[in-house]
Amino acid sequence: MPQAIKRYSCVTGRSATVDGEAFPVAAEAGDGDEGKFLAALYRALKADYPKFFKMDALSKLGFLASELILRDEAPRFVPREDIAVVCFNRSASLATDVQHQAAIQREDSCYPSPSVFVYTLPNIVAGEIAIRNKLLGETSFYVCREWSAQQVFRMVSHTFCDGCTRAVLAAWVECFEGTCEAFMMLVEQQDGLSGLPFSVEQVDILYQNTKLKLWKS
Amino acid sequence: MEELILQLKQEIIKVLNLEDVKPEDIADDAPLFGEGLGLDSIDALELIVLMEKMYGIKLQDPAQGREIFKSIRVMAEYIHANRSK
Repeated sequence: MPQAIKRYSCVTGRSATVDGEAFPVAAEAGDGDEGKFLAALYRALKADYPKFFKMDALSKLGFLASELILRDEAPRFVPREDIAVVCFNRSASLATDVQHQAAIQREDSCYPSPSVFVYTLPNIVAGEIAIRNKLLGETSFYVCREWSAQQVFRMVSHTFCDGCTRAVLAAWVECFEGTCEAFMMLVEQQDGLSGLPFSVEQVDILYQNTKLKLWKS
Repeated sequence: MEELILQLKQEIIKVLNLEDVKPEDIADDAPLFGEGLGLDSIDALELIVLMEKMYGIKLQDPAQGREIFKSIRVMAEYIHANRSK
C-alpha cells in the first residue's frame, strides 16, 4: 500500500515550522535562550500539559514537534494501536547524561535528581509522545552516526511491515553541544492518500530545506 | 513555621519545575499528590532528595513519604521536628 507524508514539522531553539510554514511565536520569545523559546512555543500551542516543564530538552523538542503535527488531527487522545513513534538522533541523551554525571560527581555532595535521571535514555522521547497521545503502537529510538534520510526511510518502512501499523510519527531529534533540532513527519499508509510521496529523496529534501529555512530565519 | 512553609513552597516549585505556580497558589493543607498539585512518583523521589539535601533528613523507609508528603504543612512540621541542618 502506498505511503505518504501527511504533515511535517521542525523545531529548533529559535523557530518552528509546520509543513514548511512558520508557526507564530511572540517575536521576542526566548531572546536567544533556547529553553525560553521552547516554553514560549509550548504556550503558543496551548498544549495544556504541565508535564512538559519536567521534560529534558530532547523530550521537549520531540513533544513540541508532535504537537505541531497532531494539534489539528481529530479525534485526538483516543487510544490507537496502529500509530507508531520512531525516533532517530546522533547523540542519544548525552545532554542529560552530562547533567546527571555532574550531579553525582562529588562524593561528599552526591544528590542525583530522579527527574533528571529518568531522561538518561533517549527513547523516553518516543514514550512521552506516545503517552501524551495514547499511541499504543511500536515505539523505538535509533542512535545513528549522522542524519541519514535512507536510514529513516528504511526503518519507517520496516515499521509498516508488522501488519498493524497504519501511520508512523517519525522524527530526527537531536540536542547536544549547540545543536537543538527536531524534524518530524507523519507518514500514513492508505489508498488514495494526499500528501507528499514518502521516499528517501523527499525525506532528505524536506529535512534539508526546512533546516535551511530555519537557519535563514 | 510560616517562614519554613514559604521556603518549602519555593523549593518545591523550583525543584519540581512547577512552571506558572506561585507559592501563594499552594494551600498549606492541600494534598500534594492526586488532587492539589497533582505530583507523581518521580516528584515523590525528588522530594525525598530535597529533604536530605536541604534539611539533612534521610528517610529510612520511602513509604514514610506517603504520610510526610500529605501537605506542605505536614511536611514542614516533620522537617521542623527532624532537621539536622
